[in-house]
Amino acid sequence: MKKYICYLILFLYLMLPCNTFAIVRPMSNFYVNDYANILSSETERYILDKSIALNNIDGTQIVVVTVPNLEGNSLEDYANKLFNNWGIGDKKKNNGLLLLLALEEREFRVEVGDGLEGILPDGKTGRFQDQYIIPYLKNNNWDEGIKNGYDVFYSEIVKLNNLDLEYEEGIPSYNTDNNEENDLNILFEIILVLGFFTGTFIGIWMKKMPKEKGLKATLLYFLIWVLLFIICTRIFMIGVGFLIFNLFCFIPTRFGLSTRGGVGFGRSSGGGSSGGFSGGGGRSSGGGSSRGF
Amino acid sequence: MKKGLVAFLIAIGIMGLVVVFIGGSYNSLIELEQNVEKEYSNVSVMLERRADLIPNLVSTVKGYAKHEEEIINSITEARSNLMNANTIGEKSKANSELSTALNALMVVVENYPDLKANANFIQLSDELAGTENRIAVARKSYNDAVEGYNSKIKKFPSNILANMFGFEKAEYFEADPAKLDVPKVEF
Repeated sequence: MKKYICYLILFLYLMLPCNTFAIVRPMSNFYVNDYANILSSETERYILDKSIALNNIDGTQIVVVTVPNLEGNSLEDYANKLFNNWGIGDKKKNNGLLLLLALEEREFRVEVGDGLEGILPDGKTGRFQDQYIIPYLKNNNWDEGIKNGYDVFYSEIVKLNNLDLEYEEGIPSYNTDNNEENDLNILFEIILVLGFFTGTFIGIWMKKMPKEKGLKATLLYFLIWVLLFIICTRIFMIGVGFLIFNLFCFIPTRFGLSTRGGVGFGRSSGGGSSGGFSGGGGRSSGGGSSRGF
Repeated sequence: MKKGLVAFLIAIGIMGLVVVFIGGSYNSLIELEQNVEKEYSNVSVMLERRADLIPNLVSTVKGYAKHEEEIINSITEARSNLMNANTIGEKSKANSELSTALNALMVVVENYPDLKANANFIQLSDELAGTENRIAVARKSYNDAVEGYNSKIKKFPSNILANMFGFEKAEYFEADPAKLDVPKVEF
């Protein structure tokens, strides 16, 4: 039993959703992601508090991301993919704003969600960068530059959207809106575990049968498996995961393959379901402005 | 009697399955085709938006760099080609021409620091860069939609249906041949 639990943990670890874009994933705080490690914790706290408050008003999400480098992507490509991957802003209103700093390339981009394009046209975002952000960044004044820029975008949004801001100090509220991706991940993992257990039990059951019956049963199992596999790849992708896990566990138990020594209990890294804040599903069509510093 | 009834029911069942299958396939072909058209219209909107920015840009530039006639003319010409383009192929080609002309302009502008520092010009440059980025994003969405649609048309068994109902292959929006990044405005 212990061996199987170890297998389970190993498989779950391996099956965690992978980042296919080579783009950083949101931290559990979501609004501040200082991967380049250039912001002070005061600045981070400041941004986090203000973004949470703003999000509570009407779902507007201002997200700050700093990265050590763009991993070979262009700034615009990276920003747009990140924006849409994280789903910044409310799904319907598309009121998201991304401030992205790439340290090695020394580039800064403001990416504007579709819903904010009216009050933050490209020209204005460029001007704000020139006036409030870039001069500081040129001198490596990261905290001031980003905080300054953040403030000016924040007040512009509040002003032009006529938002009634009741600022609550340091009360983090959970964003329970529409967190489809997380729910899907949990469902996915449950189905995989189900596959694991059913596969194991079917394998044990068949192993116990008298030889000839066991052979027919195994053949039937494989036949059904192939059929289900074909169907699932067309309609029901999650079913494929179930079937694969099923097979992985069926084969060793059915054919009595011995397992090598136990696998250590590994901690899963972050995973798909982050506990904390997350994007509302907003999108950007590529509006905004870029600057070098 | 009973045997005939069973056979009949099986026949109905099979026919039902076939109808459902054809209906499902046809509908998904329609959906994919509609998606392509939607993305195409999106790209067209962005192209138009860029074309709209050009006259303002040209007059600002003329104010400072009157003698750069050649570049200004190539921009104006590329723009009218874009406005007159109808098929996706024509639009794609005209778009590339305009991008080349604009990139040439940005290089020349380096010689005119007054123009470069002009607030209006900076704003227009940002708007242009923003629009070009939007075009790039829309183009990718469009090409993805085309890929999905074209694959479905060619794959078995939906290709039979596609031929029957006259679904035709969609054209990709070609990328700029010389893909130059729009230079970032630096001080």
